[in-house]
Amino acid sequence: MIGPGYQWLAHLRRSPLLLFVLLYTALSGGPFLWVAVMSLRTTPEIFASPYALPSHLHWEKFADAWTRSNYSTYFWNSTIVVVTAVVLLTVIGAMVAHCLARYHFRGNRVARFVILSGLILPPQLLILSLFQILLEFSLYNTLTGLILVYVAGHLAMTVYILEGFFAQIPQDLFDAARLDGYSDLEIFWRITLPIGAPALFTTVTLNFIILWNEFLYAVVLLTEDDKRTLPLGIMHFMGSHQLDIGMLATGLMIAIAPIILLYGFFSETMIKGMTAGAVR
Amino acid sequence: MTGVVPRARPWGRGEAGAEVSARRASLATLFIFLAPALLLYAAFTVYPVLRTFWNSIHTIGPHNVQELVGAANFTQLLTSDRVFWKAVGNTAIFTIIATIADVLGGLLLALCLFSGAPLAKLLRVVWFTPVLMSYVVVGIIWVWIYDYDWGLANFILRSVGLGALEQSWLGDPRTALWSVMATHVWKWLGFNMIVFLAALYALPEEVLGAAELDNCGWIAKLVYVIIPMLRPTIVNLLVLSFVGKMMIFDLVWIMTGGGPLWSTETVSTYVYKRAFDWNTFDLGYPSAIAVLWFIIILVFVFAMTQLLRQRDRLEF
Amino acid sequence: MISKSIARHCLTAVALLLALGAPRTALAEDVTINVWSHEADEDAKVAFRERAVKNLEAAHPGVHVKITWYEKNPLLAALKTALPAGQGPDVLYVEPDWTEYVEAGYLAPLDDLVNWNNIEPWARAVWVHNGKTYGIPQEAYTNELYYNKDLLKKLGVELPANAQFTQTQFLDLVKKAKAAGITPIAQGVGDRPFPGAYIVGEALLRKLGKEDYKKLWTGGLSWEEPRVIAVLKWTKELVDAGAYPKNFMTLKLGESHYYFYSNPGALMLPMGSWYTGRAFVPVDKGGQPADFPLGIMQFPAVDGGACNQCKTSAIGASFAINAASKHKDIAAEFLNAMSTPEMGKMWIETVYLQTGIKADVKSFSGPHAAYFTELMERQKGEDYFIGGPRDLVQGTCKDSFAQVLNSAFPGGLLTVEQTAKMMNDGCYKG
Repeated sequence: MIGPGYQWLAHLRRSPLLLFVLLYTALSGGPFLWVAVMSLRTTPEIFASPYALPSHLHWEKFADAWTRSNYSTYFWNSTIVVVTAVVLLTVIGAMVAHCLARYHFRGNRVARFVILSGLILPPQLLILSLFQILLEFSLYNTLTGLILVYVAGHLAMTVYILEGFFAQIPQDLFDAARLDGYSDLEIFWRITLPIGAPALFTTVTLNFIILWNEFLYAVVLLTEDDKRTLPLGIMHFMGSHQLDIGMLATGLMIAIAPIILLYGFFSETMIKGMTAGAVR
Repeated sequence: MTGVVPRARPWGRGEAGAEVSARRASLATLFIFLAPALLLYAAFTVYPVLRTFWNSIHTIGPHNVQELVGAANFTQLLTSDRVFWKAVGNTAIFTIIATIADVLGGLLLALCLFSGAPLAKLLRVVWFTPVLMSYVVVGIIWVWIYDYDWGLANFILRSVGLGALEQSWLGDPRTALWSVMATHVWKWLGFNMIVFLAALYALPEEVLGAAELDNCGWIAKLVYVIIPMLRPTIVNLLVLSFVGKMMIFDLVWIMTGGGPLWSTETVSTYVYKRAFDWNTFDLGYPSAIAVLWFIIILVFVFAMTQLLRQRDRLEF
Repeated sequence: MISKSIARHCLTAVALLLALGAPRTALAEDVTINVWSHEADEDAKVAFRERAVKNLEAAHPGVHVKITWYEKNPLLAALKTALPAGQGPDVLYVEPDWTEYVEAGYLAPLDDLVNWNNIEPWARAVWVHNGKTYGIPQEAYTNELYYNKDLLKKLGVELPANAQFTQTQFLDLVKKAKAAGITPIAQGVGDRPFPGAYIVGEALLRKLGKEDYKKLWTGGLSWEEPRVIAVLKWTKELVDAGAYPKNFMTLKLGESHYYFYSNPGALMLPMGSWYTGRAFVPVDKGGQPADFPLGIMQFPAVDGGACNQCKTSAIGASFAINAASKHKDIAAEFLNAMSTPEMGKMWIETVYLQTGIKADVKSFSGPHAAYFTELMERQKGEDYFIGGPRDLVQGTCKDSFAQVLNSAFPGGLLTVEQTAKMMNDGCYKG
C-alpha cells in the first residue's frame, strides 16, 4: 500500500497520529455504540444511569419495535424507490455528464447552467408546486411519482460530480477511439463508464445514502401508510411523547442496521471502486 | 473550423480512419444523451421553479385567490424582516466555517489513513459510519449527547474535571449554532475523507518520488506537491459542501427548530416555517424568500467557481 | 375540470336530500372514507377513534373508514400541500388555532351535518367562525398547576383553603424549595413552543381580566403597559430565584413530566390537564409512580388582579370535514360516531381527560378517582377564558411568543424591557 515515494509519511507514524486515530474513532463510532447499548435497556434503566452497560439484554424490544410499526412494508417500499432512483440517476446523470464534458455544441453552456442550478433550489418550496404536477400527471401518492421527483431533484449533484471527473479523462483516448470508428454510444459505454467508475461509485453511494434517508418529499407525496418509506417508520417512535428513550434507541438501531450491514458487506468493493482511480 | 466537419453517427461503427472530431456530435447523439434528463427537469424542476417565481410576486389569500403584489413581498423582506437577516447571517457563518472544517478535516483524515495508520481498512469503515445515518438519527443522537444533565458531552467534561465548562449546548444562543455545526461536520467528514483518499491513491507515484529525491521536507511536499495536485478534488468538495450547507434544514429542524432566540434559524427553516407553520396558506412570502436566496447563492457559487475552478487537463 | 363539476352536482343532490330529511341508511355500494389523524402514540386515543370506526362500520354496512396516522409536523406539511390542490382526506384532525383552514375555505361547515345535541355549547363555540361551525371538538383541557403534596409539606408550607397562593407567597415558596435543593418548577421548552409561558401567561390572565388578556395576544394592548410590566417583573424574580431547572431550554415536554414525578423530582409542574396522558401510563413506560402524592393547586393570585378566579380552558384535538370531500354525509356520520355520550364516557375514563362531548360522568371510580375528584374541585367557581395563548397568536406574533415569552425570557436570557420590546415588535399593532 505504501510505495517508495511515500516514506516521508512514515514520519507521521508516531504517537500523535495514534492518539488522533483513537480519539476520532471514539468520536465517530462512539455515539453509535451508545445508541446500540441503549437499545437493549429499558427507559427507566437508562434514566437511572445513562451510561451503564445493560444488566439484562432486552432483546424482546427489537421484536416489539418490529411488530408495532409497519416495518417490512416500509423497508420494501424504500428498497424499490431508492434502488430504482439510484439506477436512473446514475444512467441519466452519466449520459448528461459525458455529453457536457465531451462535446462542444451551442447549447452546452445553457444546458450546464440549467442543470447545475438545480443544485441550489430549496426543496421546501419546490414541494408545493411539485405536488401540483404529480397530481396533474396522476402520480400523486405513487412510488413512481416519488422516484421521478427524487431523480429530478438529485440530478444536479450527480451531474456535477460526474462531469468534473469525466472532463479530466484525457482527450487522446477519445480521439483514438473515434479514429477507430467507434460510435458515440460505444465511446460512452466502453471508455467513459469504465474509466469513470470511481466517480460513479461516489455518486451511487451518495445518492443511495441521501435517498434512503430522505424524508420531506416522502411524507408529503405519499399519503397511504402502505406506500410509506422507512424514514417515516422512525417517526413512529418519535411521537409527541418521545419519552420512551429505550424504544426510540431500539427503533434507531433497526433503522441504521440495514445500511450498516449493507455497507459492511460492500464497503471493500465500494472503496476499491472509488480508489481504483487508475486513469493513466 | 471551416468547411463541413463530418459528424460521427451515434451508434454503429463508421469506417476506421474517418476524420471525425471527437468533440463534435450529431444532433441525434446529443438528443439521446440529454433528452431524458432535460425532460425530467422540465417537468419536475423547471415548472416548480417558475411557479415559485410566480408565487413570489403574488399573495395567496382565502379561497386560493391570487393577488398580484409585485415587489411588495421583496420590499417587506429586505426592509422589515429581522428574522430573515438573522437567518441569512446564521446560514452564512454556518456555511463558511463548516465547509472549511469539513473539507480540511476530510483531507486530514485521508492523509492519516494514507500514511499507513494501523487498521486502516477497518477505520475506513468506522469513520464513514456517520455518513450513513439519516439526519433524523444523527439529530436525535446528538440532542442526547448535548443534553445538559445526562448528555455525553457534559458527562465527559465532568469526568475529566472540566465540569466548569459544562453548558446547555443547544439551549444557549451563544453555543447552539456551533453545536449544530459540530454535529453536521461530524456527519460529513467521512465522505470527504473517502473522496480525498481516492484522489490520493490516484496521484502518480513518479511525481511524489521525484519530490522525494529532491529532499523536500514533508510539510513542503504536502503544501507544494500534494495539495496542488488535489486541487480539482478540493474545489469540487468545497462547492458541494458549500451548496449543501447553504440549504441546511433537516438537522437544524430536528435539533433546535431554529431557536433559541433565532440563533440557529437558517434560511431554509425560516422558509419552511412561513410556508407550513404560519397560520396562513399564503405562499407568496416564502416564495419571495426562496427566490432571493436562490439569487444570492447563485452569485456566490458563480463567484466561487470562477475564482477556483480551472479546467486542468492532465496531459501526458 | 369536468370531474369537479360533477362532484358539485352530486353534492348539491346530497344536500337537497339531507335537507328533505332523507334517511341516512347504508348505501348500495362500498364507500371508504379517509381520515388523517394525529396522536398515534397515545394508545387510549387510538383505541377511542378505532372504536368509533368499528361502531360506524357496524351500523352502516358497506362503509369503511381508513385512518392514516401522522406526526404533527408531517401532518401540517401534508395538509398544506393536499388541501389547496383539492385533495386530502375526507376527515382531518384539526386544532382550533388552525384558523387559516377556515379562512381559506378548505373546511366544510358542519352545522347541518353533525348532531350537535351531543356537544357542549361552549366547546362548539370555539369552532364557530362567521356564524358557521367548522370543527367538532373532541379533546378539552384546562391549564392546571400540579404539585407534589409531600414535598410541599416537607417545606412546611400549607396550601390556602382556596388552593391559591398570592404572588408573594408563591415567590417565597420558590425560594424555599430552591434552598432545600428541590427544583421548584419542572418545565422545559425543548420540543414545544408554549410550556415556558404557563406561569407568566396565567398571571397575565388574572391581572388583566379576560378582555384585555385577549387584546394582549391579538395585538390590541402594548406589552410595555404597566400591568404587563408588573407581571413580567414578578416572573423575572421567579426566574432569578431559580424556579426553572438548569436544562429548561432543552428539556422536552415528556421529560419534564418524568422530572416532576420520578427523577429528580420537583415541586410543581404547570401543565394542561392532558398531563394524565403521560402520567397515568405504567411506570416502565414513563408514567408516575403508583403512590405519587399528586395535588392540584390554582395558579397564584396576582396583586391587583382583575380576575383572580379566571382560568384557562381550551379545546385541543378536533376533527373537521374537507370541503372537497365527496362523502361529506358519511364523514359526518364518523364524527357523530365519535361524539356519542358513551364515547364521551369512554374518553374520560380511558384517556383521563376532559372532552367537548356531553358526557354523563357523575362519579369517578377506578385508580384515578381521587385525581378526578380534585380536578373537579378546582373547576368549581372558576371563570373560564376559552383558549390558550397559542390559540390566539398568529404569524410573527406566534414566532415571537415561541422564541421570547416561552423560551428566552423564562430561560433567563432576556430582561423585562427586552422581552416587552420584542413582544411588541412581534405582536402589537398599535
